[in-house]
Amino acid sequence: MLLARALRAAAALRPPPRYPPRRLLSSSSPRALLPPPAAAPPLARSLWQLGGGGWRTALLRPRRGSAGGVSCGCGGLHTEGDKAFAQFLTDEIKEERKIQKHKSLPKVSGGWELEVHGTEAKLVRKIAGEKITVTFNINNSIPPSVDEETQEDQKPDEQEPDLTSTPNFVVEVIKDDTKQTLVLDCHYPEDEVGHEGEEESDIFTIREVSFQPTGESDWKDTNYTLNTDSLDWALYDHLMDFLADRGVDNTFADELIELSTALEHQEYIKFLEDLKSFVKCQ
Amino acid sequence: MSVALRNAQRAVPVRRAPLRRAVCALRAALGASCFDVGLVCAGNGLMRRLNGAYRQRPEPTDVLSFPFHRVAAGELPRPRCRDEYNLGDIFLGVEYIHQQCRATGEDFDGVLAVTAAHGLCHLLGYQHNTKPEWQQMYQKEVEILEELNRLTGASLRPLTAGLF
Repeated sequence: MLLARALRAAAALRPPPRYPPRRLLSSSSPRALLPPPAAAPPLARSLWQLGGGGWRTALLRPRRGSAGGVSCGCGGLHTEGDKAFAQFLTDEIKEERKIQKHKSLPKVSGGWELEVHGTEAKLVRKIAGEKITVTFNINNSIPPSVDEETQEDQKPDEQEPDLTSTPNFVVEVIKDDTKQTLVLDCHYPEDEVGHEGEEESDIFTIREVSFQPTGESDWKDTNYTLNTDSLDWALYDHLMDFLADRGVDNTFADELIELSTALEHQEYIKFLEDLKSFVKCQ
Repeated sequence: MSVALRNAQRAVPVRRAPLRRAVCALRAALGASCFDVGLVCAGNGLMRRLNGAYRQRPEPTDVLSFPFHRVAAGELPRPRCRDEYNLGDIFLGVEYIHQQCRATGEDFDGVLAVTAAHGLCHLLGYQHNTKPEWQQMYQKEVEILEELNRLTGASLRPLTAGLF
C-alpha cells in the first residue's frame, strides 16, 4: 500500500514544467543573446563550442596536459578529480566485493518464488486456493540511526558493523474465489533497530490493513484502511496468526532481512560500477 | 486494561490469540482485570541475559516476572494514578519451554498457559522460597487454572506441583 501511495504522492508533488521544452530551442529564446553558432547546435552544447579564444572557453574547456584535466575524444570533461574519483570507486568496489556475503541472492524457505525488478522484489507463494505475495523495495531501507551511531561510537581500528536492510513490506493475500485482495502493510519497528530493547519487541508489525480489487495495479485510497495503532489487541493477534498460517512469521521476516540486505548490497555495488563507468566515460 | 504481547523470538512459532485469551482469563481469575500486563515471548538468548542480570544465573529458564508493585501475596496493588494500573512484565522463555515439552511430550500451548499463570502469581507477590509460601502460591495457581480449565475444557495443573 505504501509503495503505491508513495509513487502516487511523488507524481502529485512533481511540479509541471513552466514552459514547454521546445521553447529553449526557439528563435525567441535567450539563446539569441549569444553569438549565433555556425551550425545552430542545441543551447547546451553551444555554450561549450562558442568563441575560439574567449574567456568562456578558457574556463570551461580543459586544456590537454593541464592540471585540470585531459580529453579522451569523447567530448566530455575529464579532470584530475575524475581520475581520483574513478580510482576511489575501483578501490571501493573491490572492498565491497570482498565483504559481500552472498554472490547470488539467498532463498527464502517455505516455497517462496522470487522475482526481482531493479530495486523491487516480490516473493510469491501458492497454497490451497490462495496466492500470497510479499513485495518490498530496497531503496532507503537501511535505518539512518545505524549510520549515526556507528560513526560516533566507532574507534579508528574497529571494523564497520554490517548494514542491515529492513524494508517495509506489503503482504497481499488473494483467494481464488473472491475479487478482493487483503493487503497488509508491514514494518520492522524503526525505533528499535540498532537500539537497546530491540530484542524485547516484535520482529515485525502490521501497520495497515485494507481490501483492494484483485488484479488492479492502482489501489483505491477510498477503500477503508484499518490502522493498527488504535486496534483491539485481540484482533491484531488474530491478524498476526493469520499471516503466520500463510508463512509470514518471525522466521520469514528474518529471512526477508537477509534477502533484502543481499539485494541492497548487490544494487549498491552495481551503482558504484555504473558511477565509475560514468565518471571514466568508458 | 490491556495485555501487551510481544513475540521477540524466531526459534518457536507462537500462537498469539490463544495465549492472549489464556492470560486475560487468568488475570480475570486473579481479580486483576483492571491492570495492564506486559508479556514477552523470548528465546534462550534473552532469557539467559535477563536471568544473569537479575538473578545471577546466566542460563535460559521458563519464566521471569518483573512486578511493577511490591505487594504481599494475595493482595492487589493500590494504584494512585492511571499509570500505576500496571502489574508488570512477564518474560516467557518459549524456546526453553518448547525444548522441555519435546523432552517430556507435554502440550506446548498448555504449558505456556500454565507458565503464564505462574508468572502472573509472581507479579501479585506470590513466592515459593519456603514451604508455606509455596503452598499459598500453589493453591492460587490451582484456583486460577481451574477457572481457565472451566472456560476452555483443558485440564491444566500448576507449574510448581511437587516442589516441596
